[in-house]
Amino acid sequence: MVTTIAARRRTLTTTALVAVVIVLALASLGTGPVRMSPLTVLDALAGGGSDVQQIIVREIRLPRAILALAIGAILGLSGAALQGLLRNPLASPSLFGAPQSAAFGAVLIIALGLADIRSYALPAAAIAMAFLSVFVLLAVAGRSAGLLLLILAGLAISSLAGAATALALNLSPNPFAALEISFWLLGSLDDRSFRHVMLALPFIIAGAIVLMSQRAAFRALSLGEETAQSLGVHVGRLRLLVIAGVALGVGGAVAVAGTIGFIGLIAPHLMRPLIGHDPARLLIPSALTGAALLLAADIAVRIIPSTTDIKVGVLTSLIGVPFFLYLILRERRALSGGVA
Amino acid sequence: MPSYRRWREGLGLAVTLLGLATTAAVAQPRIASINLCTDQLLMTLADPDQILGLSPYARDVARSWDATRAAQFPLLSGGAEDVLVLKPDIVVAGRFTKRATRQLLKDKGQRVIEFDVPRSLDDVRQQIMRMGALVQHPERATAEIGRLDAAIERARGVAARKSFSVLALSRRGWVSGSDSLSAALLSAVGLRSAADGLGLRTGGFASLEAIVSLKPDYLLVSDSGDYAEDEGRAFLLHPALERFYPASKRIMLPERLLACGGPMLTEALDRLATELERIDR
Repeated sequence: MVTTIAARRRTLTTTALVAVVIVLALASLGTGPVRMSPLTVLDALAGGGSDVQQIIVREIRLPRAILALAIGAILGLSGAALQGLLRNPLASPSLFGAPQSAAFGAVLIIALGLADIRSYALPAAAIAMAFLSVFVLLAVAGRSAGLLLLILAGLAISSLAGAATALALNLSPNPFAALEISFWLLGSLDDRSFRHVMLALPFIIAGAIVLMSQRAAFRALSLGEETAQSLGVHVGRLRLLVIAGVALGVGGAVAVAGTIGFIGLIAPHLMRPLIGHDPARLLIPSALTGAALLLAADIAVRIIPSTTDIKVGVLTSLIGVPFFLYLILRERRALSGGVA
Repeated sequence: MPSYRRWREGLGLAVTLLGLATTAAVAQPRIASINLCTDQLLMTLADPDQILGLSPYARDVARSWDATRAAQFPLLSGGAEDVLVLKPDIVVAGRFTKRATRQLLKDKGQRVIEFDVPRSLDDVRQQIMRMGALVQHPERATAEIGRLDAAIERARGVAARKSFSVLALSRRGWVSGSDSLSAALLSAVGLRSAADGLGLRTGGFASLEAIVSLKPDYLLVSDSGDYAEDEGRAFLLHPALERFYPASKRIMLPERLLACGGPMLTEALDRLATELERIDR
């Protein structure tokens, strides 16, 4: 009886989340410097209205909404997967320095002028760096690392990535590099086109498939590493797959949007009270929550009155860091236990 | 030892006096430039041996109008150090860049002359005159202004038959305001800056949506390539913009002709007239 109630709540939550994401995606299409009524927007989306309205909705706002949805979802999913893998509620791509490292990979391409910013060189470099960073982090921190170790190693890696990024910036022959890259590092979805969607989406989908394919293993792992192994989970292989999935997703996302942090940390936490602690069941709702969060943040940056455009990555960090502090407060006992 | 020192001091004094004597005889100040725009004015108006050094981008063909000529002059770092070592009579600089460098040079007793960003063709004339006076060749400045005025006259002759609206658009959506040099150039050939329609008198960033719905007749851009080295450049290649403004709707004026006010404007105006012929038909 209890399980059916829990199951019903899960279905209800997931359905509600899908509805929220759809509403936010439509709201995203209706938001922008040019005011349009919801009906005009829907009409333009379907191919009606004037050519200007069509272009604004279909070529300026639609790619932006798709990117916000996909990037938010993969960040939420990555967070849930990392938290499942490490059985650790503070795990998330941004605390591990993955987006910062991915950004370094992409910045290297931009700063040295190696390729067009809309070419696959960008996601490739970002993915490679994201993979390297998570790999090094897990190698340094060890198999069953405590919270402190992971966070310290993550801090070290993000600092290194930040320093390397600054260096790449100094070595750049492009006189606009400093401005371009610092804007870019803040994370933004402004004026992206379908070329950017084509750049990021294949990698985001591939990353999502890899992470989703491991859901059964996460559940077995939540019973402890030995139990999981006795259930036939190859823990080493699982780690490598999760790193690869996170790197693909985060790398693809960062390559077109810059660093957008903390979605991966927040999303699974918002879902745990509703879904329960089963890491396998947490994956899809976390992805949906991530999508909803980033869509909402990206709508907010366009609504908040400001002289220049606010970067969406700034907003997610403004919300994410206090949330992270709250989580530390809650986990204080575990953390101080780690020190002793 | 003391006698040796006295001897050296005496020699130093003699050299200084000799130096002063030659300076007085030639009476031409030696000048260092730490700004791309003052580089161009200097190269046009000064004698080669008056130029001690140019700014770091002086040889950049994309940005420096007279990049080929710049090759014969030393490049400076743009900072204060090498200028202090060179000890020029005058340092010419931009009004808005390198504030700390300019302050440091002034504190060290250097004579620093600042050139503002010109907003009109009159400003440009004044700057040419000013540099001409600095290098003590005012006759060259007058000739240069004559060339500019002739170009303005030629441009009037081929002015557009209709007052098309043109938006001067740069990377990242930067729009040169209606009160700017590019607007002045546009009006010289009978075109109208569309920046007012966006409420940007002195310039500012415009969103893609705002540009597309303002729908000016043409865009004035500095690059016709299809390569985006960063997101700022990718803005100009956004499909929504390319849909309404293919190459035939883009007036192309290279950055080296538009970035500064000076002798290059003669070429810029002629180029604009040619571009006008291309799009006006």
